[in-house]
Amino acid sequence: MKRLLPLNEKARSLAAPAASQPSGEAALMSNVVGCTTTFDPGWELDAFGGMANLCQPIEADLYGCTDTCWWPAQLADLVNTSPEWSDGKNSAIRDWRELQILFPED
Amino acid sequence: MSAMNPMNHFPRLDRWRALTRMAAFSVGLLATLAASAAGAAGDAAALLQEKCGACHLEEKGWQRITNIRKTPEGWDMTLVRMGIWHKVELSRAERKTLVKYLADHQGLAPEESQPHRALIERQPNSVDVSPSEELTQMCGRCHSVGRVALQRRDADEWRKLIHTHVGQFPSIEYSSLGRDRNWFELAQGDLSRRLGELYPLRADAWRKWQAARHAAPTGTWRVAGHRPGWGRYAGYMEVAALGGDRYDVRYELNFDAGNTLTGRGESVVYAGYEWRGAAQLGNLDTLSVFAMSPDGKRMAGRWFLRKADEIGARFEAIRVEAAPAGTILSLSPSLLKAGETTEIRVAGVRLGDRFDFGPGIEVDKMTRISEHEVRLVVSVAGDASVGWRTLGKPDVAARVAVYRQIDRVRVEPEFGYARLGGGTVAPVTAQFEAIAWLDGPDGKPDTDDDVRLGPMDAQWSVDNHDERARADEDARFAGVMEPHGQFIPAPAGPNPARNDLSNTGDLSVVAKVVDGARTVTGTGRLVVAAQRWNTPPLR
Ligand code: HEC
Ligand code: HEC
Repeated sequence: MKRLLPLNEKARSLAAPAASQPSGEAALMSNVVGCTTTFDPGWELDAFGGMANLCQPIEADLYGCTDTCWWPAQLADLVNTSPEWSDGKNSAIRDWRELQILFPED
Repeated sequence: MSAMNPMNHFPRLDRWRALTRMAAFSVGLLATLAASAAGAAGDAAALLQEKCGACHLEEKGWQRITNIRKTPEGWDMTLVRMGIWHKVELSRAERKTLVKYLADHQGLAPEESQPHRALIERQPNSVDVSPSEELTQMCGRCHSVGRVALQRRDADEWRKLIHTHVGQFPSIEYSSLGRDRNWFELAQGDLSRRLGELYPLRADAWRKWQAARHAAPTGTWRVAGHRPGWGRYAGYMEVAALGGDRYDVRYELNFDAGNTLTGRGESVVYAGYEWRGAAQLGNLDTLSVFAMSPDGKRMAGRWFLRKADEIGARFEAIRVEAAPAGTILSLSPSLLKAGETTEIRVAGVRLGDRFDFGPGIEVDKMTRISEHEVRLVVSVAGDASVGWRTLGKPDVAARVAVYRQIDRVRVEPEFGYARLGGGTVAPVTAQFEAIAWLDGPDGKPDTDDDVRLGPMDAQWSVDNHDERARADEDARFAGVMEPHGQFIPAPAGPNPARNDLSNTGDLSVVAKVVDGARTVTGTGRLVVAAQRWNTPPLR
């Protein structure tokens, strides 16, 4: 791993048992195509169907997510798929505008 | 001739039509895929040898390639993956040639792709379709189950894909819904077997479809559709063959609001029915994803902006030559209030002069616009019975609803997502519609006899969804709701005016519809989420 994981919601929930199952409205909302249900902490929504437990601002923790391949379908996966994605952009919170989209246009 | 010419009221297309008619008609209605794509198949075979053969061994076809069937998008995503993961270099043209060949020879039959059209059409805020909770948990937490269900392979090939997942994405075993079970053992055991049964390589549907003769889309199509937030349109599509399943396409779309989009583009038909086009419509750079019906008489799907696929319109088409006289494609508006007089645009094929809406609805006046279009002024009696009235042939959805008073307004989508954009990532807007409902004969909401009348004009606003959103002032920061129900998200990145939080937000969407003297309110929910850096066509 290239960087130290920041101490954040995700780091905490990683240590916690897997209790992050959505229920009720949260389950309905997360069935929308394009949204992940990896809810620890969650990318669009948290396990409670809200946004209170998400990383904020997301740019501050972006490499914490990509370094660990946490949402490989939504973001870059720096472990195997796109290890060079963040090269030269050492601070996501400063450099996020330069990060490239991953799927090339047809 | 002029009475027979379906395009005689369609001057912009006339000259082009004269030029292409010969080509289009000499190719004929029916063309087999194999014949028209023979040249491309040769190129593709050479490409497979040259670009893939280094790693994929030749063995009754190519190992790992020949024993899988996918949609055009599915194949394209795999080719892109070969590029990113295994450094396979393909030019844009080579990529297209291979997708065409693979989707034709190892594609999905119309009924196999049917349950997941919304995913293929990139319909925003569509709900994932999954055959089981098990599959939702095991395979639908990073991407849709639809991405899985749009592939066909035997258990052994599913198992290989699962090995690939575990090798490539280590988090799969220790993120939520992975670490609470022995994910890998379950996935490569029982689940692979089940996937092989649910989505098998060999299927009658595909065998029959491959053996069938496929209709070419050449000719004139009567089209109609609905663009959320903009309203209905009707028009024409004119298709001429370019060879190799490629088509030159002209569009003329006349919106009820009065504006017209005309344009030209090029389309490719994959596997005999999967239409993928690119067209400039007015100043819109669009893509189209349609499916032709197996008999070649209809087409349906969605067109959308190339750079913002959430913005688009439904599209339905019937082939003018094949449609029986009097076929009605679209009635607009389709909501008639009892006691009022309304002008309806009727779009169809070779329309007659008589329109019978049933008791309580009088046609006061008919104005013929063309052979295929009339305007009707209708008066609905104050005591006319409410509910649907169907016109024309029963298999074409042409109906109007009569209502006295709407009972409810529902916001669609009920749960919508917008995404922040910035840097290289485009923002994702969210379009809402206010749908009027009747409670039906039982007078109770949320029962089977409820009638979904359709979209109505509304006054739109957003509010904070909960206490947390109120405290963070989400409604102030997350973006702007436009008058036609489209939410435009604010820019991504930490916002200094917000203590460096990003502009994400949890909002209620409120639609107020005026119905006579009353105002009926509907509420939905909008999550303004963080951006996505990975936006392949099948999400
Ligand atoms: C440099 C080696 C290499 C080349 C060249 C290559 N591939 Fe692959 N391909 C792989 C490897 C390794 C796998 C297995 C891991 C994976 O799925 O990525 C694979 C897997 C696949 C799969 C199975 C994926 C699935 O859906 O499970 C398909 C299909 C495929 N390749 C198609 C192609 C095509 C088509 C080409 C030529 C344009 C090609 N590959 C060129 C290495 C290569
Ligand atoms: C940890 C997240 C995750 C889970 C869980 C997951 N996938 Fe995937 N899957 C991905 C990612 C990321 C890709 C995209 C790979 C790419 O194209 O870059 C993918 C791609 C695919 C593809 C397209 C691959 C191709 O080349 O055609 C299929 C099919 C698929 N997954 C099936 C499955 C199945 C079946 C399961 C359940 C057993 C599953 N996935 C579970 C992350 C996941």
